Amino acid sequence: MDQNRTPLWEFVDVSKAYPGVLANDKVCIKLLDGSIHGLLGENGCGKSTLIKTLSGVQQPDSGQILYKGKATHIGDPQDARDKGIATVFQEFSIVPTLSVGENIFLGNMPRNRFGVIDWKQVNTSAASVLAEMEVDIDPEAITGNLSVGEQQLVEIAKAVAMKARMIILDEPTAALGEDEIERLHALLRKMRGQGTAILYVSHRLDEVERIVDEVTILRSGRVVRASGETEINVSEIVSAMVGEDIAEHYPKEQNASAEIVLTASNLSTKNGVENVSFDLHKGEVLGLGGVLGSGRTEIARALFGVDTLTGGNVTLNGKLLKVRHEIDAIDAGLALVPENRKFDGLFFNFRASGNITAASLGGLSRLGVLNLKSEEAGTHKLIEELEISPQAEQKTVNFLSGGNQQKIVIARWLFSDSKVLIFDEPTQGIDIGAKIAVYKLINALTRAGKSIILISSDHDELLAMSDRIAVVQHGSISRTVPASDLTHDDLVRASATQMDYTATEERQ
Amino acid sequence: MKRIFDSQLIGPFAAMMIVALVVALTTERFLNPGNLSNLSLQVSIVALIAIGSTIVIFAAGIDLSSGSMVALLTMILAQVLKFMGIPLMMAVPLILIVGGLLGFVLGAITAYGRIPAFITTLAALIAFRGLALTFNNGSPIFSLDPALEPLFYGKVAGIPMPFFYLVFFYGLAAFIMNFTKLGREIYAVGGNPAAAVLTGINVRKVQTMTFVIAGFMTAVGAVLMSARLNSGSPNYGQTLELQAIAAAVVGGASLAGGRGNILATLMGAMTIVIVQNGLNLNAAPSSVQNIVLGAIILLAVGIDMWRTELSATIGRLFGHSDQPASRASSAKPATSKDS
Repeated sequence: MDQNRTPLWEFVDVSKAYPGVLANDKVCIKLLDGSIHGLLGENGCGKSTLIKTLSGVQQPDSGQILYKGKATHIGDPQDARDKGIATVFQEFSIVPTLSVGENIFLGNMPRNRFGVIDWKQVNTSAASVLAEMEVDIDPEAITGNLSVGEQQLVEIAKAVAMKARMIILDEPTAALGEDEIERLHALLRKMRGQGTAILYVSHRLDEVERIVDEVTILRSGRVVRASGETEINVSEIVSAMVGEDIAEHYPKEQNASAEIVLTASNLSTKNGVENVSFDLHKGEVLGLGGVLGSGRTEIARALFGVDTLTGGNVTLNGKLLKVRHEIDAIDAGLALVPENRKFDGLFFNFRASGNITAASLGGLSRLGVLNLKSEEAGTHKLIEELEISPQAEQKTVNFLSGGNQQKIVIARWLFSDSKVLIFDEPTQGIDIGAKIAVYKLINALTRAGKSIILISSDHDELLAMSDRIAVVQHGSISRTVPASDLTHDDLVRASATQMDYTATEERQ
Repeated sequence: MKRIFDSQLIGPFAAMMIVALVVALTTERFLNPGNLSNLSLQVSIVALIAIGSTIVIFAAGIDLSSGSMVALLTMILAQVLKFMGIPLMMAVPLILIVGGLLGFVLGAITAYGRIPAFITTLAALIAFRGLALTFNNGSPIFSLDPALEPLFYGKVAGIPMPFFYLVFFYGLAAFIMNFTKLGREIYAVGGNPAAAVLTGINVRKVQTMTFVIAGFMTAVGAVLMSARLNSGSPNYGQTLELQAIAAAVVGGASLAGGRGNILATLMGAMTIVIVQNGLNLNAAPSSVQNIVLGAIILLAVGIDMWRTELSATIGRLFGHSDQPASRASSAKPATSKDS
């Protein structure tokens, strides 16, 4: 990459302070046309502030913004759009009840000479934008019916339709499956080829390696590292982000013993789980590998009693498990840390204590009256042990960071003294420091003799933190092998097989 | 005790005191002992029913049925007392049980039948009024039982009976909401039903329980209504459900569920009744009273919304402040290897 040409957009010593926080401290960044620029850093490092400044949502306190080498300023979001900057925020701005075409041209609908929306024009223009992107989506489809990945592409189509020269993507792959990520990346490469400048924000370091040309890393509001193409290396990135040398990104401990805790035999559900059998040992982490939609989450749901079994059975500590309701599973010692922390895990109206004890209210009460003293004492101990922000004891959990929130969800199952914990995407969307904290927690749990079923789309994490991995395809386990016998490529290939299979199935 | 008297009471308490101060300064007779005693009578029925309405709201439900249920229950009480010769000592518990049962039915339809509480209780609002009219050819029944009136007008040590009911039931409700498993589960269900399911809380049972409580408290209100007028009438309790919900809302309960303090509802009810009392003493027409009541509800909810927004803004600004700032000092200065 020619580093001497004039960047499309450049920040020079841009600072922005909020009360009590210097969110951006003399940030410099060069965004070149025809280049994908990765922006990395932990939560709260100032990434969002930088994005907001570039998309005109807020004004910097000091510093210069250069457009093709000339000083300019971005007055408001409309001004940013006029200057060719399109932002795809984490929360989509599409309207689910409208068609794809309507969404693409929302606010800028083609009209005929009577001032009425020209629907033909909307659909043909949308179709040509989508064709340009080589995306196969019907412009007349209702956007809400599309998959999350397709909605993401519609979001990008909006940017393409307005002929944006600069596209900002904030965590574009957080909700996407492997194949959808591939499609997105292919599209981004194509746009890069056409000379678009792309700012790419992500927590997934494996992706960063795959797609970006340059990297800027922020820590506590400052640029700590800016690098060119050849120097991108995950472990360097991690230590630059966290600011400490991390000897091991994945601090895996071997705690598995020979004793079998849980046996699943020939589990089937209406939800697509077919003939699933596996053993889980005491202190073991069993990884479930496979793509989104391969049936990993469904297996977890079947174990936990969310979906009814149509066949097979589960034994826990030698006893046949009869699960009619989630309560039965919890009473037997199972725990589910759900994928979607926000929607399925947390009570935002409670402080940490209420969240931590929510699954143990029965044991915490006598004749229906809660023992609040032992609740406070027990949760205080966990908050200290897990290094959860002490604020959590005073404030409701909506004030806490994602990492703290995730620890609180996990702490709930430590409090209830569960024997088998199912972790569904435990590190999705949390920063690298919090991820490592979750890994250490997994070690602490297995050391204490608890067993873990780990579901993760992050292949590196799954390989590093599991003792054994069961590869899930089409709702069945195709094989169970020691994690050390598998490579990243094996998992990708397994995922790819599933995709080919699904594709042929659909064609038939 | 700290748990019960938390910061959520400050706003509603301040609102009540300000309203009381304004009325006291503008209206001479407001602070007369007779008037204050009258106030506690006036507030009692709506405040007792509001306990149930609030608890339903805590679990993210809504109960529109209480006004009509009062009419129906006063008619049933009148029927059994006057025409069936059932003694008062048995009739009152019977009404309380019937109230609980009606609540159970509404709760079960809502929770297990998955019909929104708004619809279930709107249907009940209409149907209960109709049911009340099926008794005694739709006419009120008067002069029920001389022993009925003391339940409302009686005094112990010079203090009107309704005061004791308020203390007892609000005390009980505060205990349930703050110190019991059920109370915690109600807040959990209101806060996040999906998470409640996954933590093993029986969401439907909890939702149903809130309606049983609401039905029971409505029955308490109905008995007092009958005692107050020594009669039963299919016309009693008009808009009472709205006043009860207003008391909850003025007290700061979030209609989204999960948030609020039950004692604040008492203050909300007091605020409303003090305003009504002040307007009454100044001979304001009922049209003005309704307009003022509407304005109070809007203002109370408005302040609550702005407060939420304000704290959200503060949360956005300081939400990440637990990020150790000290790391910045160890950060190497920006290196520009690319130039």
